[in-house]
This record gives sequence, C-alpha cells and structure tokens, in this order.
Amino acid sequence: MAQGSTTSSDLPAWLAAQLRGWAASDGERLIFVARSAFAAFLALWIAFRLGLDSPGTAMTTTFILALPSSGMVLEKAFYRLLGTVVGCGAALLLIALFPQQAPVLLVGLALWVGLCTAGAAMHRNQQSYSFVLAGYTACMIAVPALEHPAGVFAAAVTRTTEVALGVIVAAVVHDVLFPRAHGRQVRRTVQARYDSFLAFCRQVLAGRLTPAQAELAHLRFAADIAALESGRAAAFFETGARGHTRQLHAFNGAFMTALTTFYTLHRLLHRADAASPVPALRVFLDAPLHALLAGSLEELPAALAPAAGTARAALAARTDLTRGAAIDAETAIELAERFALHLAAFDAIYRGLAQDKRQQVSEPQAYAPKTPPGIVLASGARAAFALLAAATLWYWLAWGQLATSLVMTTVFCALASSSPRPTAMVRQVMTGFLIATPLTFATEFLLVIRASDFPMLVLAAVPLFALALWLMTDPKRAGIGIGMAMFSSQFVAPVNLMHYDAVGMANGMLAQIAGVLLAWVIFAVLLPEHTMGNREHVRAALWREAAHACRRRLGDGKRLRHRFDNRVRDLLSQLNAAAGPTPPAPTRAVVREGLTLLELGHAVIDLRLLLAASMGGPVRNALQAALARLADYLRAPVAGANGAAVAALLDAGGAIRAALATGQCEPDRAARLRTALVDLHAIYTSLLDQAADTLDPTGAHHAA
Amino acid sequence: MPRELSILGVLIPTILPVFLGCLLLQGVLDRVLSHVGVYRRLWHPALARLCLLVCIVGGATAWLYQ
Repeated sequence: MAQGSTTSSDLPAWLAAQLRGWAASDGERLIFVARSAFAAFLALWIAFRLGLDSPGTAMTTTFILALPSSGMVLEKAFYRLLGTVVGCGAALLLIALFPQQAPVLLVGLALWVGLCTAGAAMHRNQQSYSFVLAGYTACMIAVPALEHPAGVFAAAVTRTTEVALGVIVAAVVHDVLFPRAHGRQVRRTVQARYDSFLAFCRQVLAGRLTPAQAELAHLRFAADIAALESGRAAAFFETGARGHTRQLHAFNGAFMTALTTFYTLHRLLHRADAASPVPALRVFLDAPLHALLAGSLEELPAALAPAAGTARAALAARTDLTRGAAIDAETAIELAERFALHLAAFDAIYRGLAQDKRQQVSEPQAYAPKTPPGIVLASGARAAFALLAAATLWYWLAWGQLATSLVMTTVFCALASSSPRPTAMVRQVMTGFLIATPLTFATEFLLVIRASDFPMLVLAAVPLFALALWLMTDPKRAGIGIGMAMFSSQFVAPVNLMHYDAVGMANGMLAQIAGVLLAWVIFAVLLPEHTMGNREHVRAALWREAAHACRRRLGDGKRLRHRFDNRVRDLLSQLNAAAGPTPPAPTRAVVREGLTLLELGHAVIDLRLLLAASMGGPVRNALQAALARLADYLRAPVAGANGAAVAALLDAGGAIRAALATGQCEPDRAARLRTALVDLHAIYTSLLDQAADTLDPTGAHHAA
Repeated sequence: MPRELSILGVLIPTILPVFLGCLLLQGVLDRVLSHVGVYRRLWHPALARLCLLVCIVGGATAWLYQ
C-alpha cells in the first residue's frame, strides 16, 4: 500500500519533469512549426479574400520570416519590407530609363544587383538582408517586364502589397502566438559571457590553460561579441527591450577593453623566462586578484593597490636585475592595476544590466561589423556576373522559362554571398529543392486537386509545409528546410482562378533548379577564395587595421581605440565563423598574429597619445622616428622593415633612458616617460614575437 | 474622407497613409510605455502592444469615416 501511495504522489512530479523536458526540446520545435504554418495559411487566406494576384508570394514571405524568436522575426520583417520597397523603386526607374532595350536594361540591372550585393557583404547583419532584397526584387520585377513593359507598375504594386501582407501576418503571429522573446535570450547571453570570462581569467591565472587553448577562447569570445550585438539588434524590436541598447553597447565595449588588457598581462606572465622577476611578482599580484575574482569585483582596484605597492617596493629593493627584467616586472604591475580597473568597470555594467537598473553610461560606442574590401568587391562582381551569365544563356537558348532561372540565380548569389561557406549553403538549398520536387508534384496533383474549399486545401498542403518547417528547426538541415519551404510554397499555393498545368509546373520547377545550379557553379568557379572570413583576407585586413592605428586621426584616443578594438574582434569573429568548431592550425596562426597586432596597436595608440601631449626635444624626435618606422613595417611586413623598426625602438628607448638619467625632469614628465618606456617595451616584444621565425632576436639588446 | 487619394496621378487607398501615421503614433507611445515600465507588469507585452495598435488604427478610421 505504502509503495502504491508513493508512486501516485511521484507520478505527477515525474510527468511534470517529462513535460518540461519535452517542452524545452521538441515542444519548442513543434510550437514553431505550428506557429509558422498558421502564419502561412493565414496570409494565404487573407490574400484570397482580398483577391490579390499571386497569393503564393505572401505565403513564401511568411516562410522566409519563420525564425525562432519574435525579435528576429520583427527585425527581418522590417528590413524585408524596406528592401522590397527600394527594389521596386529601382526596377521602375530602370524600366522607365530603358524601356524595351533588353541589353542595356540587363547591364543596368547587373550593376544595381552588384552594388546591392556588395552593400550586403559589407554589413553582415540584418541590414544586409535589406540590400540583398533591394537587388533581387528589382530583378524579379524588371525581368518579366521586358516583354510587357506596360505591366511593370502593376507588378511592382502587387509584389509590394503581397510582401507587406506576408510581413504583417508573420510579424503579428510570431510576436503574439506563444512568442519566444529574444530579450530574455540576450540577458542569458550576457550572464553566460560574464561567467565564462571570469572562469577564463581564473583558469589563466592559475596556469591551467595552454596558449593554444587561450587562443581558441579568444576566438570564441570574438564570436560572442558579434553574436551579442546581433542579438541586441533583434531584441530592439521587441516590447520593452529598447532601454538596454546603450548599456549593451557599453557591456561589449568594456568587455573588449578588459579582454585586451588581460591578454597582454597573460602574455607577459607566460613569456617571462627563468631570469625574470615576474614569476616572483605573481605571489604579490595573483593572490589578491584570485581571491577577488571569486568575491566582489568592485573593490578590486582598491584592494590591489597595497599589493602593487608591496611588489614595487620589493622590485626596487632588488639590485641584481637587468634593466629589461625590471621593465618587465614594472609592466606586469601596471598591467595588473589596469586590468583591475577595467574588470571593475565591466563588472559595474554587468550588475546594472542584471538588476535591470537604468544607469548613465557615458557615450558608449556601438560594435559595427565590417568586411574586408576585397571580399565586398568580389561578392558584388560575382552577383553582377551571375546575372549577366544567366541573361546570356536566356538569350541564346531562347527558353522562356530561363527568366525564372535568372531570377533564382540572382537571388541565391546575393543571399549566399554573406555566408562564410556559400557553396555549402547553396548545395543545402538545392537539396531542399530536389527533395521538394516530387513531394510538391504529389501534393499538388494527388491532394490539392481534390480540395474543394480552404480547410481542405490546408489539410492537403500542411504535411509538406510541416516537414519543411520541422527541418528548419534542425540547425544542421536548416538550409534544406528553407529550400523546401520556398520551393513548394511557390508551386502549391493556388491562384485565385485555379488551373492545373502539369507541364507548365514541371517547366517552372526545372527552371528554378537550373537557376540554383548556376548559382552554385558560379560560387565554385568565380573567385572561390574570396568568401567571408577567408584566412588570407582576414590576415591582410588585420595588418591594415594595425597600420591604421599608426596613422588615423587621434583625437582623444578613445574613438580610435574603440574602432581598432572593434575591427580586430570583428575580423576574428569572421575567421571563427568560417573556421567552424575546430579551427585548423593555419587559422590559429592568424589568430595569434591578430592578438599580437591587437596588443601592438594598443601600445601604439598609447604612445601617440603621450607624444601628442609632450613637448619637443630629442625624446620626441626619437619616438616619432620609431613610430614612422613601425608604420612602414605594418604597411609592408618584411624582415628588413622589422629590423629597422626594432632599431628605431632601441634608439627611442635609449633617448628616454638618457632623459630619465639626467634626473632633471619634473615628476609628471618622468611618469609619462616611464609609461612611454613600458609601451615601447610592449611594442618591442610584439615585434620580436612576429619576427621570431625571420629574425634572430638574441642579438638585440633590450629596448628599454 | 475620400476612399482613395491621388498622389501624382497614382491612386492610393486613404487608409494606407492613415495606417502609417498610426504606426508612427504607436511607436512613440511604445517608447513612452516601455520607458515608464508598463510592459514589465503585463502578462503578454507583445499582445498588449498589438491591441494598442488595433485600437489606434480602429479609432482613427472610425473618427475619419464616421
């Protein structure tokens, strides 16, 4: 009896646990499928009621907007509407300029598409989707209008109306019907990032991470920064999530600063050899850092100050140190203090976000993604070429349906150009198309043909769409699902005056598949190396950014520093997206290079700030010469330039030491000189790291 | 109110600019409400936001076409 009673009391709990588990995994996916299918049929029904010309477009739009969280749907909906309106305007303009002059019109269209695709590749967030759409909508409207130019305005109005209908329906349904709020996810991301960063710091300080692991962690952090920014942009469209924009920007900014300082500190601790006093310092600095990382971070800078004082005193007492070792140790102490400050700032922003407190953040700068120009140009050229190639085929073969192929080629060339692995993406979509072909045929001619009213139509079409939507929820097969949904919704959705034309449909299907195939061929053949996150492009762009840090207008330094940090992290996140979960050794080498350049660039900016504040004299001249050599080296990184830069750095170090040795400078100038010395040291060691395989660093004296 | 507006010879349903104006108004209201923190006290903020929009558009059209 007793056993029976426990089972009966356990049963509800067991059931509840099972239900919760189901709701978190498959339940979520099922709700998504139901919600998206509901949106699709609602849009179709409204389009029928309003008597629109091609209800399929409204339905396809809802499938394209079927994304997991309501913020993402609203964001994409907004940009889709924007892109469609701009694209229709461009199509009208092109047709008005070149009516019935196909070659000129197609060239103009190719230029427009190339421009839009280049813009899309440049932005890489949802704004880029607007560019993609502006390009291919123009193509969709203008190409059919070649034969009937008078109908172009009606076509543009129909397209805009139907896309708008689909957009409104999808936005309302995904926002209201069992929504998954993106704002909550962003909050979870913030929490996870804070925790993982502290864990990373603790592990590194305890010496439990190898350099390779630390590099991977930096790569992942760069991807996290980019992901948080795109999540913030999506959550912006949700209710009540708007107030955090500035705070989230500040969070990302503070995180980047703290991470950079920590990297420099970590590298210094790691590089120190047996003769260096740095390991001895760890006793003074690590222990308080370590204890405080576990406790409250607000008091970290204040609590670290006495430890730093002790360490400095201990350092001054030692007379057996070489000058280089002393500088090493001094740099380590200063970096530890700086890191404590940055960590405390990061912690304060995190607490403000976590407790939902509104705090005044002083002018945080946004994280802005940007793509290397080579890749941007290549995507534009590729899309323009694809359109011209498809148009040429269309003219030679004189197969009317190829107009559809042309549109499909343009669509996928534009869509895939912002993906790190475009051929894989196009292949997935093509797989979806191929799977959908027989299924669509069967659905149309076995089921939909028997449907006598709308509920029957829904019953007939829903299995196919549900399968496609279910595949979309699986991250590995999402492309297949999207391809299936896009393809089948165009053919299954009936028009107002229904007619069943098997030959016409087969022709249309073949043309669409041919279009995607052409897009795939073009990606495989034309500039296959110029894709998002390509290692060599990222590497070149990293060097360019470092060279910019030497030359760009300085101002108060904050803007330049943020911009530099932002760019380098963004390039690393592109690298991460292209490399996948286990980056190969060459990718890791680029990451290492990027991190060294990051450190070098920050030291250069520091030095430039010091220079801007200082007066003339031999020290200033020597520093300026060193910076000029350094800029030369960063622009053209060869061994000879590296040697010249190192020599100039040694000269500058010597000049500063001479100035300090005279003992005649006032205290604040002496402090500035010492900071300059520390920066020079950082640059010097970074240069030696880079030249390790081309130069022999043993012959060089210490810079400072 | 006329049912259609003629802008440069293109006929546009009057309700379209009205709807766009309502969207703008709702956007402003949305900012105010989320700043005050009303949304945090609601069970389904997105539904409340949608209902607000429906009320505004409905009210505007009822007022214009009474």
